[in-house]
Amino acid sequence: MLRVEGLSRRFGGVYALENVSLNVEPGELRGIIGPNGAGKSTLFNLITGHLRANSGNVFFRDEAIDSLGAHARAQRGIAVVYQGARIFRGMTVLENVMVGAHRRTRHGFIEAALRSPRSRREDEAVRLLSAALLTLVGLGGLGDRPAESLPLGQQRSLQLARALAAEPTLLLLDEPASGLREAERHHFAELIRSLRASGLTIVLVEHDVPLVTTLSDRITVLDLGRVIAEGTPAEVREDPAVIGAYLGSPRAS
Amino acid sequence: MQKGHSAFFALLLGTLCLARFLGESALSLYVLFALTAIVTVGVSLLMGQAGQVSLGQGAFYACGAYTAGVLTTHGCPGAVALLVAPCAAAALAVVIGVPLLLLRGHHLAFATLAAHLIFLSVIGEMTVTGGDVGLQGIPRLRLGPLELDSVRSYAYLSSLALVAVVVVARNILASRPGRGLRALSSSELAAASSAIPVGRYKLAVFSLSAGFAGLAGGIYAFYMGYLAPGSFPVLLSVEYVVMATVGGLGTISGGVLGAAVVLLLVHALSRLATTSGMPMSAPVILSYAVYAVLLITTVLFLPGGIVSLVAAASERASRRSAKKASEAATSSSTTPSG
Ligand SMILES: Nc1ncnc2c1ncn2[C@@H]1O[C@H](COP(=O)(O)OP(=O)(O)OP(=O)(O)O)[C@@H](O)[C@H]1O
Ligand SMILES: [Mg+2]
Repeated sequence: MLRVEGLSRRFGGVYALENVSLNVEPGELRGIIGPNGAGKSTLFNLITGHLRANSGNVFFRDEAIDSLGAHARAQRGIAVVYQGARIFRGMTVLENVMVGAHRRTRHGFIEAALRSPRSRREDEAVRLLSAALLTLVGLGGLGDRPAESLPLGQQRSLQLARALAAEPTLLLLDEPASGLREAERHHFAELIRSLRASGLTIVLVEHDVPLVTTLSDRITVLDLGRVIAEGTPAEVREDPAVIGAYLGSPRAS
Repeated sequence: MQKGHSAFFALLLGTLCLARFLGESALSLYVLFALTAIVTVGVSLLMGQAGQVSLGQGAFYACGAYTAGVLTTHGCPGAVALLVAPCAAAALAVVIGVPLLLLRGHHLAFATLAAHLIFLSVIGEMTVTGGDVGLQGIPRLRLGPLELDSVRSYAYLSSLALVAVVVVARNILASRPGRGLRALSSSELAAASSAIPVGRYKLAVFSLSAGFAGLAGGIYAFYMGYLAPGSFPVLLSVEYVVMATVGGLGTISGGVLGAAVVLLLVHALSRLATTSGMPMSAPVILSYAVYAVLLITTVLFLPGGIVSLVAAASERASRRSAKKASEAATSSSTTPSG
């Protein structure tokens, strides 16, 4: 599904990511953990096309996507929930989700200007789907609120609904559970499980190690831009390199 | 849907009533308003929804005007020429826009300004456009059996065109491409991640705004019957930007309101400036000054434009009436017991 080969990215002289390779199977839920600054978000940005690699390749469904822009990669079915709150300000919560469905609809400027039957049909279908997704992520009834009025945790859930509206084949989640309260976190874990059960391939970056271990099929551990371990949750937990670099050292968050 | 339709008919009726009942002297100002508002609606979309500034809308206006003028003086039916005019302006915008939209921020503003100047000098050189002397003898517009030969008929035509432009803009904003535009004006990165082709969409809205300007220019050509490079000074492009800003960027009503308010103000001031006792240079100085002052005042004190004032006022009114209603409810519920 997703294959990353020898990916490197420097900022100035410093490697944020160095010779990283990984292979995510269809339907897999891959957890990625690592300390702050390990290069997790950089890896995502290279996959989504917001950053260019200095070397290495990214394959999505066996197609090299290195030369594609971010929107073309999204069009192929890669959706992402960013670490920060990247909602569309000045639009309602519902409209934010509807933007996510852009990928699955067709009508453009001319059809919209003339309010063609297809444009009405698509808009109506997208509206219904988006409202349902809001309910799914726990934002039911908030559709008419300005998106920026939501607290941070809910903005994260909104991003998830927006990503799902694209009906992606690969979903990248960068610390989606941070800012969620305990009950919300539980709900979130259930949601991820059901998405995984529906066959969606997911890559999950998360600092909450217990959460990642319970959800993931396999875990990749990054440190200082390199892969230091990879395996099932049980294997990774036993790995001496991981314990030394990451799990052993007490962390602030 | 229902609400949208009734608002549409109210707008249509309102503009047509104005065109029908305004006195002769006010009519030419009204035509100017309708043509200007058509352009500023596009500018408002471009600036507010796509975050781009164009100082070249006057050139697209001129492009539409010259397209219509040259075509009809060469025997093309007026109705066809009027349809080709916005298309030509939109196509010109695509040609200019492809390299320019790769640049960000103020580059588009400077480059469109340059495009405006280049366009004027090209028009001034070409013989087909009449050069510096201008293009004369543009026939009055014929639509089937109708010949538009009075100011009032152009008031009807331009107000119908304005309504059409408002409807098109509104439909686009409320639909898939409009959501894409609004999304990318908030975050290009997140918009691209939602599969929105950011560059292509910016180009599309740039081209759309140019098309609106071209339509207004086409009507202007028939209305005036005569075109010269001097009719399209750079100040024209600046005016559109000021009007859209004063009205409220990103909103359709802001484009219309901004055009109306600024035009009326400039009109009043120019009457003042031409009263006896004022120096010869007063009209020019006043008209430049008024744009500068309006722009600076709006940007500093009213970033949302006039539209935001109206919205705030109506919200306050509705809150007050809601409060009154709830007070009435509580007092009526407490009186019997007390
Ligand atoms: N745009 C940038 N310019 C310069 N340096 C950057 C940039 N983006 C990331 N870096 C650096 O690259 C390294 C990896 O950053 P990255 O954001 O990928 O880490 P991360 O694993 O996501 O960390 P966190 O857990 O804090 O989110 C860091 O040292 C960071 O300072
Ligand atoms: Mg990160």
